[in-house]
Amino acid sequence: MGLLTILKKMKQKEREMRLLMLGLDNAGKTTILKKFNGEDISTISPTLGFNIKTLEHKGFKLNIWDVGGQKSLRSYWRNYFESTDGLVWVVDSADRLRLEDCGRELSALLLEERLAGATLLVFANKQDLPGALSKEAIQEALALDEIKTHHWCIIGCSAVTGENLLAGVDWLLDDIAARIFTAD
Amino acid sequence: MDAAAELSQESGFVAESGAAKMQERLQKRHQARIEDAERRKEDKERQAVAEEKGEYFSSTFNGERACIEELLSGCSGADRAVVTQILEEATAQTVQLQKFLNDSTLFLTQYELRQAQAALQKLQTSLAETREAALPKKRFAFRARTKAADKVAPPVSDTASPGAGTFEQSAQVDGAAAFEQCGFSNMENELLTKTSDEIQKRDVLLTHLTNCKVRLFGSPSTLHLKHIDSCEILCGPVSSSVFVDHCRNSILALPCQQLRTHNTTNTQVYLHVTSRAIIEDCHGVSFAPFSWSYPNLEDDFSVSGLDRDRNNWSQVDDFNWLAAGTPSPNWTVIPEADRKTNWDS
Repeated sequence: MGLLTILKKMKQKEREMRLLMLGLDNAGKTTILKKFNGEDISTISPTLGFNIKTLEHKGFKLNIWDVGGQKSLRSYWRNYFESTDGLVWVVDSADRLRLEDCGRELSALLLEERLAGATLLVFANKQDLPGALSKEAIQEALALDEIKTHHWCIIGCSAVTGENLLAGVDWLLDDIAARIFTAD
Repeated sequence: MDAAAELSQESGFVAESGAAKMQERLQKRHQARIEDAERRKEDKERQAVAEEKGEYFSSTFNGERACIEELLSGCSGADRAVVTQILEEATAQTVQLQKFLNDSTLFLTQYELRQAQAALQKLQTSLAETREAALPKKRFAFRARTKAADKVAPPVSDTASPGAGTFEQSAQVDGAAAFEQCGFSNMENELLTKTSDEIQKRDVLLTHLTNCKVRLFGSPSTLHLKHIDSCEILCGPVSSSVFVDHCRNSILALPCQQLRTHNTTNTQVYLHVTSRAIIEDCHGVSFAPFSWSYPNLEDDFSVSGLDRDRNNWSQVDDFNWLAAGTPSPNWTVIPEADRKTNWDS
């Protein structure tokens, strides 16, 4: 084993990513995190503070930060921006009354300098509810097409059934991997 | 003396034959070493793939780069639609080139890597410049426009502030909500009921109700209450969360998995909650265990999947009161004597 081989191996080991999950309260951030990790979702309480999970997926080590979305906690979001590779914005697709709030908070985030390099994944959550808006409607309401500063993608999902969670995270990882130098 | 000379002579002879042997051995060792080196070299060559060579990389990289540059140079003076297409293609190719570079980092030298990154950076800059020149961003300006016309011809790269767009669109979204949403809104002084068939597994919304009595028999999947004044709202088991905002002088009774209460004052909640209830920007909110009942309540409990035996009604988290140890002044428990027991009045 030459020095170069060792170096190669070390480089491949650095496949670590930091994902930040934000959104209004009651959007389903913690439920997505727990469902993705295969945990029980029936006992989840509104997040007072934050949760952090480290998990392995597709050979990457993911550090996922799930920060509470209550109004009184939003001013603390900025404490978690540093060195974020991917931003996951979770939307309650059935909460029509607060879509405007939701869009405003998101566009404020996208102006943040410390999130400038991050890839944006929008989860249009709660698609299992009959009154949920389609991901196209959410895309329009949040004016996603006007985002030119970040790579973004919107995916309709349901944290309760687990539908499309994997597809969303896979897209996010592929996009981040192509950006930072860890692709195979 | 003689013996000594003899000895030296003998040792001289021994040394001579020893030197010859030594030389032979060295020769052999040298030969072996050369062979070994030869073999290792072959091994290495066999391992190295053609693609992992600096020359291959630089020729491919430069070829691709020239290709994109040529594409971009075709932009000047071209039609807007053509330019848009060219830019899109160039962007896609640049991304691909970036990926190629990423994949090659493992075998490139620092110098080559830096060179390639600089070239890529330059390419991206010129791409951005071309885009800016060919499809300039709109500057903000007031203009008279009809909504219909706006809808028919959406501008290709409209970059007006996203906030402005959101307002208009969410108004449409709210409009759509009016006929799709299950629930009640804008009512006064009424007795409102929904049966199990109407709300089972649906998301129910109650807004702008004043002085109403609402009975929801059944198990909705979520419940939203907004702008509620002086109402009595009783609801069957909600399988996920209940969201309350701007509610005052009211009485609520509901089982749910989570209760999230905001901007609420002077309201009593008769609660069955299997995880947690929270309040934020509330005061004068009081809690007691859920006590309303109706004939099919047990069935609805099993539809909702809520645990009948787990009720955390008295563990309320106040997001405006994070001091541990001191209870929040914003909520209280209703004393047993003052609790409502008769719901049919």
